[in-house]
Amino acid sequence: MDFPILSLLILVPMIGAVLTLVMGGGRQKSAKYVAAAFSAVTLVLALFVLFNSDSFSSMSESYEWIKTDFVSISFSLAVDGLSILMVFLTALLVFLVVVFSAEAEEVETDRPNYFHTLLLAMEVGLMGVYMASDYFLFYVMWEVTLIPMYFMISWYGGPRRHYAAIKFFIYTHVASLVMLIGIFAMGFKAAEVTGVVDFSFASIATVMHGVEEGFQALVFALLFFGFAVKMPAVPFHTWLPDAHTEAPTGGSVLLAGVMLKMGSYGIIRICLEALPLGASYWQWVIIAIGLVSIVYGAYACIAQKDLKKMVAFSSISHMGMVMLGIGCLSDAGITFAVFQMFAHGLITAILFMVCGMTGHKVGTREIPLLGGLAGKMPVYATFMMFAFMASLGLPGLVGFWGEFPVIFAFYEFIVANDMLWLLLFCMLSLMLTAGYYLWAMQRTLFGPETTKIDLSHAHDVSKTEFAAMAVLCVLVAFFGMWPDAALQFIEPYTDGLIDILGVI
Amino acid sequence: MDFTSIFGDYTAIAPMIILLIGALVAPGVHLLGKKRTATWGFALAVVIVSMVINVLMLVDGWTGSTLGMVYYTDYSGLMMLLFQIVLFLAVVVSNASVETTRFNVGAYYALLMAASTGMMFVAGSQDLMMIFVGVELTSISSYAAVSMKRNDARAAEAAVKYVIIGGMSTALTLYGISMLYGLTGTTNIAAIAATTSITGISFVFGIALVAMIAGYGFKIAAVPFHMWAPDVYEGAATPVSLFLATGSKKMGLSVFFQIFLIMFVSGTACAKIAGPEVQYLFAIIAAVTMTVGNIVAIAQNNIKRMLAYSSIAQAGYILIVMAVMSEYALSAGLFHMFTHVFMKGGAFLVVGALICAGIGEKISDYRGLAKRAPFMAAAMMLFLFSLAGIPPLAGFTSKFFLFSSTMGVGTAAGISLESQWIWLAFVAILNSAISLYYYARVVKTMYVDTGESAERIKVPAAFTVAIAICLVAVVVLGVYPQLIFDLCETASHALLFA
Repeated sequence: MDFPILSLLILVPMIGAVLTLVMGGGRQKSAKYVAAAFSAVTLVLALFVLFNSDSFSSMSESYEWIKTDFVSISFSLAVDGLSILMVFLTALLVFLVVVFSAEAEEVETDRPNYFHTLLLAMEVGLMGVYMASDYFLFYVMWEVTLIPMYFMISWYGGPRRHYAAIKFFIYTHVASLVMLIGIFAMGFKAAEVTGVVDFSFASIATVMHGVEEGFQALVFALLFFGFAVKMPAVPFHTWLPDAHTEAPTGGSVLLAGVMLKMGSYGIIRICLEALPLGASYWQWVIIAIGLVSIVYGAYACIAQKDLKKMVAFSSISHMGMVMLGIGCLSDAGITFAVFQMFAHGLITAILFMVCGMTGHKVGTREIPLLGGLAGKMPVYATFMMFAFMASLGLPGLVGFWGEFPVIFAFYEFIVANDMLWLLLFCMLSLMLTAGYYLWAMQRTLFGPETTKIDLSHAHDVSKTEFAAMAVLCVLVAFFGMWPDAALQFIEPYTDGLIDILGVI
Repeated sequence: MDFTSIFGDYTAIAPMIILLIGALVAPGVHLLGKKRTATWGFALAVVIVSMVINVLMLVDGWTGSTLGMVYYTDYSGLMMLLFQIVLFLAVVVSNASVETTRFNVGAYYALLMAASTGMMFVAGSQDLMMIFVGVELTSISSYAAVSMKRNDARAAEAAVKYVIIGGMSTALTLYGISMLYGLTGTTNIAAIAATTSITGISFVFGIALVAMIAGYGFKIAAVPFHMWAPDVYEGAATPVSLFLATGSKKMGLSVFFQIFLIMFVSGTACAKIAGPEVQYLFAIIAAVTMTVGNIVAIAQNNIKRMLAYSSIAQAGYILIVMAVMSEYALSAGLFHMFTHVFMKGGAFLVVGALICAGIGEKISDYRGLAKRAPFMAAAMMLFLFSLAGIPPLAGFTSKFFLFSSTMGVGTAAGISLESQWIWLAFVAILNSAISLYYYARVVKTMYVDTGESAERIKVPAAFTVAIAICLVAVVVLGVYPQLIFDLCETASHALLFA
């Protein structure tokens, strides 16, 4: 196809971001319509790519960017079964966040046009990360996502927003710099063979597959650190609860929905694809981090008083599940890890929307202060229950297909390695997950209406909020009934990846 | 174009001669016209003419020498261009700046032009004495330029500090040069390298090197020779601070490149004898310089002092070139010097513009700036993020090349992965992360905090133009680095293998 559709996926939100940026003064209020239009166009483009999965390979683009005596960098974009789901998720969530935030107070009161600029700028970076097939471009886009998020937290966030914003910024920036060193090492190692430091994914991967285990393991560690902080995996997770607690709802949705996936995407796309021997070297470490994350995340959830912080920790637990699936290094493990990334993106978006609404409709997100909200706000309560159920892995909803097959893949792996007792961790995490969700639901939605706070101003879900969450709920149910709709993209990709890992 | 038919034997120094004539005539123009703006126009015209001639010669690829003393090569041409850009940025805003109203502008422009002539002279020299003379011309002009802010205690303190420390470094340098002359009987750098490769390295040779590294280390404000820089940048008028931070420092780095890279990279046997020790010495200076610069910058409340420490740190990054000593590293270093001119220069320009609008130099004075002066705040944010190395800005791209050069040696012979300097890469990236903290703090102050006043600020048009130039450069060089990087590659090849 000659039509540069992948470039457009980056270009359209970029134009939207610039337009909303300059809409100062009296036009600030109408910035949301511009943002809605541009994110809708992006979504349509993403859907077009999604439904043309036969012609993925012909969509890829590559333009020479920087060419010097020693370095060769290209602007290359490509989609495959792994990236298309993330591209779709990004486009969908950005559009829904624009819709959801249309009447949000936290946005409307202070420079609303900048909020939409930041959203669209973030979309540019996310699209770039998920489609890049050149390390330089990948890294640039990876960092481009940081600045809008930093501003989103420090402008539109809660009371401790400055601390949270700078913590988020520094943590992830340090991590990505470590990753950068890994990229340099790969580039120069590959250059010993090819003669020029060519940063394209394909040329580096080709050389890397033939490199000895020690080097692969070293570089894997550097890259993995960068990605694990982003995911975030315990013990590199401490920035996430702070960032989420302070971020505005729209920011949280994107942060948890698609930005965390950048980490797991990077592990699969770069660590596994380019460094198969490194992956097998660190396999047990990956599994250990995954196990600790799922249990610790779930355990920490129980102790949380802030509803949003609880959901943040649940993200750590669910991303741990992704890590566990990847750690199996098996067909089923990776396939369903990717599915879990997609599933978690959909579910967590609803979760954060619900939590955000709790904050600005009821006035507080402190669980002990809440109670009996179901009677006052029935629609809100329905969404919350639905999201909690989806998140704890109720069969028939998308979360089930993310978690249980991963655990099954893990089971196969530990049976083969005679370590069946490790399954206890998974069981523990499942129990804890069901526990904290049900307990939180009981304390916030049911029982007698709370008297600790004034509920007289609390009103139910607005139209735009309803629309955004309803779309997500439909998708959660749809992919829950028919997971094959997403798996058909992932399976061909993992088949190819397993061939690479088969080098082991 | 046939430059030789126009300038004859003086082609190689034509861009300098023009500036020097400008420097000599400028006081007269001021004396006759008594108009600040006319003098400014004259100075600006001279700078632009000199720059145009240099660009034409550089693009044409003209090379040659005047009397075998000053050489115009791809390297010196590029460095001259850099110094001219710095001078241009400083001169453009000088007339509009409130800090220069009490200056004798005839003398002021003459000093700036003379200082630039010295820098360009250094870039064209291949002889230690010539370099020494050029450096002195620059230094003495700069001392005077710093002290022009009369009746200001801070400026006086700055000037005195600058003179005393500068004099000390001059003495050290001269001492080193004299020892080298005693050992080899020549002051020509290539000849010294050639002689030493036969006689071998003696203890005195080592002492001479250390004396020179220390002496010129003062010029680039490498730690531990950096103490003067924050005081001087804070005390001087902002256009002068800009000139010193971006220009004078680059001259020091260029001296390092010209002396030590020629001795240890292109000089053949010499490299094998003294290379590693000198490389380690520079690696340690680089690591310490960037770390101290960044850490001390965190504690600063005055924006000019913060920028001063940040430029100490940036010099530390560029010193990576001296540790790695490869062609690729030198190209990357030169490129970083260019991007640094625009981002650091741009940041100083914003500070200067805001001083004209009555806003102080304290970081806390910048509260709520985004609402009062959206363009200034946005520009400052981009300059600072560029300094921190956030893509897709120029500072990221140049750091990408510079830091990557620690990982492998790229020479004409080929590329290989080297693990020797990986620790330096880690130090550098950790420093990048530290620097993000204090840059982000300024951005936060401008964008998130609310100030006492919400009044819109007007800044002089000259500042807006100069800042816009820097801004365009920072963005364009970030996205399309090849614009300058190709020149840097040619230049580094010319310096090392000509």
